[in-house]
Amino acid sequence: MAQVTALIDANNFYASCEQSLDPALIGRPVVVLSNNDGCIVARSAEARALGIAMGTPYFKARATLERCGVVVRSSNYALYADMSQRLMSLLESQVEELEVYSIDEAFARISRPAAGDLLPWGRRLRALARRNLGLPIAIGLGASKSQAKLANRLAKVEAPHAGLFDLGHCSNGDRWLETIAIEDVWGIGRKLAHWCRMHGVCNARELRDMASGPLRAKAGVVGLRLQRELQGHACLPLDLAPSPKQETCVSRSFSRPITSLGELREAVATYVVRASEKLRKQHQRAASLSVYTRTSPFVPGFYSRSASTHLDLPSNDTQTLLNAALPLVERIFQPHRQLAKAGVLMEHLQDTEQLQHHLLVPCGEAQLQRRDALMNTIDSLNRRYGRGTVQWAACGLRSGWTMRRERLGRAATTRLTDVPVVQA
Amino acid sequence: MEIDRSFLQPPQPLRPQRMPQHLPLAGERVAAGFPSPADDYVDVGIDLNDQLIHHPTSTFFLRVSGDSMNGAGIHDGDLLVVDRSLDPRPGRVVVAVLDGGFTLKRLTRHQGRLRLEAANPSYPPLDLQSCDDMQIWGVAIHVIHPL
Repeated sequence: MAQVTALIDANNFYASCEQSLDPALIGRPVVVLSNNDGCIVARSAEARALGIAMGTPYFKARATLERCGVVVRSSNYALYADMSQRLMSLLESQVEELEVYSIDEAFARISRPAAGDLLPWGRRLRALARRNLGLPIAIGLGASKSQAKLANRLAKVEAPHAGLFDLGHCSNGDRWLETIAIEDVWGIGRKLAHWCRMHGVCNARELRDMASGPLRAKAGVVGLRLQRELQGHACLPLDLAPSPKQETCVSRSFSRPITSLGELREAVATYVVRASEKLRKQHQRAASLSVYTRTSPFVPGFYSRSASTHLDLPSNDTQTLLNAALPLVERIFQPHRQLAKAGVLMEHLQDTEQLQHHLLVPCGEAQLQRRDALMNTIDSLNRRYGRGTVQWAACGLRSGWTMRRERLGRAATTRLTDVPVVQA
Repeated sequence: MEIDRSFLQPPQPLRPQRMPQHLPLAGERVAAGFPSPADDYVDVGIDLNDQLIHHPTSTFFLRVSGDSMNGAGIHDGDLLVVDRSLDPRPGRVVVAVLDGGFTLKRLTRHQGRLRLEAANPSYPPLDLQSCDDMQIWGVAIHVIHPL
C-alpha cells in the first residue's frame, strides 16, 4: 500500500480562532494584529474579500478598517496556542504519523487505500475540524512533502477544490503543476527562482522535468532533493521527535520607548524569568547568556548593544540567571536613548541529565536539589494560578512598557473568567 | 538496516493539558514505626476531569446567563461543559448561534419540525425552519452549579 504525505493547515488560523469562540464574529470580516498592534498578520475570508492586504501597518489601515466595519483583534497567543494543541491532537487521531510543523500546519503520513481515493477521508477530516473546533483546514496530498505542499496550495487557491487536493490521484496533475509559478515552490528562494527563469524553468512542472545536471551544479544536493521530491520520491522524512533546542530567546518590543536604566532592568529581568521557565520546561540548562537592547531602526541615530556572560555552572535557576544577567544591563544601557526593544538569549544549552561539573566551583548536590524543588514549586503555582502569581521583585510591579495589546480578545478556552457567555 | 529510534523518545503530549485535581483517599503521614495498614490500598484519587470531559480536544466551557433553562437545572451564573463533537439530537441541550450570540435551549422535534425549547414556560419555543442562519455550535453535557 502506497504511503501518502499530507500537508494539513488551518486557513487564516489566528482569525479563525477568534471567530470560533466568538459568535459575534461569525461571517464578519476580522483581522488580527502582530505584537504591539503593529501590522495585520491574519485576515478572515471576509476580510480578504474586502481586499485588505496582509502585512499592512495598522495605523495605515485603520481608517479603511473602521469604514468597512472590520473587527480588529490583538494577537491572543493564549487562545491560539490552546486551539493549536487541540487541532494537532485531532489530526493525530486521524493519521498514522504526524509532524507538527508550526502553530497551524502539520505534515502527516497515511496509507492510500486499495481504491486509491483519499478524498472521502479528507472531506471527513475537514468536516471534523470544522465541527469540533470551528476551524477551516486545507489538505494537500502527494507522494512527498514537497508535493504535499504544492497540493495544499492548489487546495486553497483553486476554489472548486474546496480545501482538498490530491496530486497523486488526479487527472491532469501536470497541468496543475504548471499553474504554480517557480517562485511559489517550497524551498525555492528568490535567487534560485531567478536562475530557473533564466534557464526557461518557470513553474513547478518544468522544475520537476528539467535536466538534473545544471540544477545540481547550481543548487547542490538540496536542489536535487527538491527535484526528486517533485518527481514523487519522498526524500524528506517526517520529523517525529524534534531535536533539542540549541538556544532560547525571549524578546519583546516596548509599548513606548524607555529611557531609564531602572525600566530596562525590569524588562530584562522579566525576560530572564520567562526564559528560565522555558529552559526548565525543555529540561535544559544554559551555559551562557546574552542580553541586548536597541532603538527603533526607523528613527535616525540607531543604537544597539549586547553583552554576554558565561556561567561557571550551567543553570536554569531563575535566581542564578538573574544574578548573571542584571549586571550586563548597565553595560548595554546608554542614557538619552529611546530604547524600543530588549531581549535575552540563553545559549550553549545542555540537557539537565548531563550536568557538567566544574573543577573549581563546588556544587552541593543537596543544595541543587533544593533549588530545583523551589523552581518546580514556583512553576506549578504560576501554571495553576496564572503567570506572575509568584514573581521576582526585580521585574517591577507596575510596568508601563509591556507589549501593547489594546484590542486583545479573551483567553476563552484557557481562563475560567474569560469563557464565552451563553444566553439561556 | 536503519533502526527506528523514535520509540525511544518520550511521547509528546498532544492532548490539551489537563490539570488533574486529585483528592487523596489515604495519606502516608504516619508516625515512624507504624506503617499504615491502608498504604497498600491507596488509590490514584478522583479526577473530576475524567468525569466531566470525555473528548478534551472538542470540549469547551461556557458561562450561563439568564433563566430560560431553569427547568432543566441550568441556572444563571452556572458553568456549562460543552462538547462540540457530539451530534445535536432531539432531546439534547444545545448551544446554538443566533443573532451573533450563543443561545442555550433544548433541541426537540414537534410534529415533525425541529425547534429550540426553553425549560421555562415564560419563553416560547423557536421553530428552526423559520430561522435560516441558525447553527448548532455544540452539545451541553454537564452543568456545574454552586450551592
